[in-house]
Amino acid sequence: MAKDKKYMSPREKDYFDKVHRWGIMWTIGAILMLLSIPVLICVKLGVLPDGEALKQVLPQLMTLYWLTAIAEVIAYVPMLGAGGTYLSFVTGNISNLKLPVGLNAMNSAKVKANTEEGEVIATIAIGVSAIVTTIIIAVGVVVFSLFVGPEVLQAPSIKPAFDFVLPALFGALAASYFEKYWKLVIVAVLVGVIVLIFSPSMGVGTLMFITIVATLAAGFGMYKLKWI
Amino acid sequence: MAGDFKSDKIMFMIAAAVIVFVIVQSVFFIVKSWKRAKELGISESTLKSTVSSSALFTVAPAVSILATVFVLANALGIVLPWIRLSVIGNLAYETTAAQTTLDYWGIALNKAVTDPQQFATIAVAMTVGSIAPLLMIPFLCKFLQKKVGFAMNKESDKSKDAETSDKPKSNLGDVISASAFIGIVSAFVAREINGRTVATTNRLDEFGNSIVNAEGAIEKVKNITGSAGVVSILVLICSMVFMTILTVVCKKFKLSKLEPFIMPIAMFAAMGMAILFMNVLPESITGITWYEIGAEV
Repeated sequence: MAKDKKYMSPREKDYFDKVHRWGIMWTIGAILMLLSIPVLICVKLGVLPDGEALKQVLPQLMTLYWLTAIAEVIAYVPMLGAGGTYLSFVTGNISNLKLPVGLNAMNSAKVKANTEEGEVIATIAIGVSAIVTTIIIAVGVVVFSLFVGPEVLQAPSIKPAFDFVLPALFGALAASYFEKYWKLVIVAVLVGVIVLIFSPSMGVGTLMFITIVATLAAGFGMYKLKWI
Repeated sequence: MAGDFKSDKIMFMIAAAVIVFVIVQSVFFIVKSWKRAKELGISESTLKSTVSSSALFTVAPAVSILATVFVLANALGIVLPWIRLSVIGNLAYETTAAQTTLDYWGIALNKAVTDPQQFATIAVAMTVGSIAPLLMIPFLCKFLQKKVGFAMNKESDKSKDAETSDKPKSNLGDVISASAFIGIVSAFVAREINGRTVATTNRLDEFGNSIVNAEGAIEKVKNITGSAGVVSILVLICSMVFMTILTVVCKKFKLSKLEPFIMPIAMFAAMGMAILFMNVLPESITGITWYEIGAEV
């Protein structure tokens, strides 16, 4: 019982319940806001969307996006925590920004996901990241479209930095697990590489599922063999 | 005048409302978490370094998101991509939604959309396509966190309890938790080693118009738009080396204040190396990618 208490004390349960309540309210607000965008555009332009076009296009898009959404929700929620999830799914760019930011913050603060400590640290990190991203995009759009011109971002002197932002980001993140779990990192990356040899264009969402399952199995095996 | 509606005052007002929503929501959750963190006894300095390191960590990816706003701006004006990439969106989703909708009229995404109805239809398609996770989260978040998330920690506790003199080096809960993280990260790392990206677009004629085949359907073509290669691997290695060196230095000299910043620093340093590689190394090396960019597949 003591153990259960440690992870879900009444106070902790209360806090998580509150986060879910707040999260659901904000999510409903976000859905209403999102839906109002095309409505306002239609009202302002005095047009209705092309119903025939939507009838043909929406089933295609919904099949693609909604299936991906199920995979993303299942993969990300246990990692992001409650507050982090509600924030991340509204602001988007999860895999390339919110998730690494959350992982980095929990690593640095030496707290684990799904504990209350992990929950608050990840939420603060993702909240800060959402604010900074929104401000950078807003300021960038105004500055680059009005004063500088977006071609500056394409200058050969700085373009490579942004072309290679993902290997720079995930290389550092992978290395943060080297010290304790280097065997597991090697196995996980090898699995990903081998899968990509046979299916080089596989989307990261699908690939992630394979590498997570393989790494969990490898981790369990190595633990039993006392390799890690 | 035809294109003005895309940058109309109302569009900027919608963008402003979205920005305010995102910022207020984030501040709300930060304030609540901050208060709870204090109750939990997490030090002010840990919280402050979480803020500064997360802000620093965000700068580079945010600028690369900004660059993608301009990719879509040609067809859709600057404001709609700005709005879409500030809430939920990412480049791959928004490009696919826009292109799939434009396909209905046989228009390619490299041309400006000048018809208000087409523009409104694209806005609807982008919204309906991307809203799915928001509809799922209220039903699934609590369930998944309880079933999957807390299970990891309970396991961690059990295995701590079971520790004996013949104990393993780690406890099972930590291993499971780390495995899940490593599984995610390694998918991205593997893609930088030997992955590629492919985009389906309309086949265009010499005037840039979509080609319609004998059955009346728009001809599609799949092209390689990105590929891992020498530079992506070099940047990956640099980032790992910088991270490892910084971690060792921090531990050796007990630089605990620097610790939260080593990941953003390693990332910036590796991005700097990317600039160096692309400007200093000969193109015969930097141009080596495992798949030819632009090739049809």
